[in-house]
Amino acid sequence: MSEHAATLSIEGLRKAFGEKTVLDGLSFQVASGEVVSLLGANGSGKSTSLRCVVGLERPDAGTITVGGVTAKPGEAVPEVAMVFQKIHLVPRRSVLDNVCAGALGRLGLSRSWSVLAFPREVQAEAMACLDRVGLADRAREKAGRLSGGQQQRVAVARALCQRAKVLLADEPVSALDPAASEQVMNLLRSLADDDGLAVAAVLHQPDLARRFSDRILGLAGGRLVFDSSAEVTDEAVADLYRPALEAAASMASTGTATKEFA
Amino acid sequence: MSGLTTAPRPRLDIPPRFRPSGVAAAALITVALVLVHWYAAVQTNTSPKELLEGWRGLWSFLFGVDRTYPNGKTIHQDGAFPLDLRWAETIRPGLEYCLLTIWIGLLGTTLSIPVALFFAVISSRTTNRFVPLWFLGRGVMSVLRAVPETVYALMFIAAVGFGAFPGVIALAIHNVAVMGKLWSEAMDEVDQGPVEALRVAGASPTQSAAHAVLPAVMPSLLGLLLYRFDTNVRSSVILGTVGAGGIGFFIKTEVDSFHFDTMMTYVCMVIVLIIVIDLFSAWLRRKVGTV
Ligand SMILES: Nc1ncnc2c1ncn2[C@@H]1O[C@H](COP(=O)(O)OP(=O)(O)OP(=O)(O)O)[C@@H](O)[C@H]1O
Ligand SMILES: [Mg+2]
Repeated sequence: MSEHAATLSIEGLRKAFGEKTVLDGLSFQVASGEVVSLLGANGSGKSTSLRCVVGLERPDAGTITVGGVTAKPGEAVPEVAMVFQKIHLVPRRSVLDNVCAGALGRLGLSRSWSVLAFPREVQAEAMACLDRVGLADRAREKAGRLSGGQQQRVAVARALCQRAKVLLADEPVSALDPAASEQVMNLLRSLADDDGLAVAAVLHQPDLARRFSDRILGLAGGRLVFDSSAEVTDEAVADLYRPALEAAASMASTGTATKEFA
Repeated sequence: MSGLTTAPRPRLDIPPRFRPSGVAAAALITVALVLVHWYAAVQTNTSPKELLEGWRGLWSFLFGVDRTYPNGKTIHQDGAFPLDLRWAETIRPGLEYCLLTIWIGLLGTTLSIPVALFFAVISSRTTNRFVPLWFLGRGVMSVLRAVPETVYALMFIAAVGFGAFPGVIALAIHNVAVMGKLWSEAMDEVDQGPVEALRVAGASPTQSAAHAVLPAVMPSLLGLLLYRFDTNVRSSVILGTVGAGGIGFFIKTEVDSFHFDTMMTYVCMVIVLIIVIDLFSAWLRRKVGTV
């Protein structure tokens, strides 16, 4: 931690949807060259915290600083890119055009009104990004034709074409098979190790989190319940999911189910 | 396994399908509907007697009638059948008028594309988050759409005189509003995911419209465009009857001069024309991959 400045720093983040408090004073840092995993039960606020960082949600309180600069709430940050569980490429467009779209933020309308207007240097950069994720040979194929794992790597290439310093990944491997998951996680690891990106990934697989990340953050009820740079105890991880597991167990028992109808 | 089959499930009351308040409401609505229709029939002189007299008039229109004048002469007035099938005088010009009708419908559709696209983009929540502009777009389209094509045609005919051109302009203006609305609704339904992804990458609303929304909705837009072309050819027949050129104009001219057989020939040609355009547009929409 000491040799890296905290590239992404979140302080006291709060967010409520109506009555429901989703983020309750969440704070954490991600340094350059580090992979941080976020674990937590469904609804614990993992996605919401990432969406606040990239301006897709506007937090009620708290500060977000990227590379020492405070981000404006509700606005995109050029240095922060995000990949999603559902990948969100444009399936009808070519792989290369999808990657070029990562550069939109620094292109004026005259050089981006259509894919035909993308400057050559942007396309060359996009090719380099595609090469980084090992898919340069698929550049002219339609994105929708690729497998899920390949599409997720294209999404990572799009993030690289954005020249991001911070990469947020919301369940990047939840829809992928084990082999593709492995490949994507290796890629995220190598982006931190070799390219010095700060990577924060929401995962639902404690096992992947242990193997690929430097630190694991546990979220529950919009708050940080552990921040562990060492081995996370199985018990701490199990605690995260305990309330949900207990609720599921009581739903399954016939007694509760019939009582609800009576 | 055996535990599942032997455990008796509890018997629960089946909730009633109809409630008394619902039955009363249905009865009330039925009575109200019958009353409204009865009043409408009185106001419009719709009665079995009128229907019978109208039927007699229709018969003489279709098959001709002998009219006896006070001076004792009897003159036969030709009906719509048999059809007027003269090639040089009726059919060939009829085909040309049909083509003109198609050209009016085509230009009326095509010329409206850029403006319709503009209105669609500013009236969809996906592509425009600036609320005042959104309201302006919706408002302008509502106003434009409230005026029927025929009324536009009458206004432009008053301005520039009879002919196909006022028909084209009338269709184009009305179509901006209708197609703009259909297009903006198609854009509303697009998957928000890629739009959000590009927003994170710093894309402006215009850029996400060009790179996330439009590629996703293009087949829908094309399908709606073809559907509007189909509809606009039909409308252009009607516009003709108020003087905006094409086959409709000649249907009106012939009926005004009591050439019912020529008129009916043109009507048959319109039927064929509409069916052909309908099939063509459906075929093309299938090719494009939208229904
Ligand atoms: N736009 C929204 N409007 C209202 N409620 C929302 C909205 N977005 C999220 N929530 C609520 O906020 C809570 C946290 O959601 P969030 O998506 O951050 O959870 P998560 O930790 O990512 O869960 P998951 O593991 O299911 O992805 C949930 O209860 C959700 O219903
Ligand atoms: Mg989530």
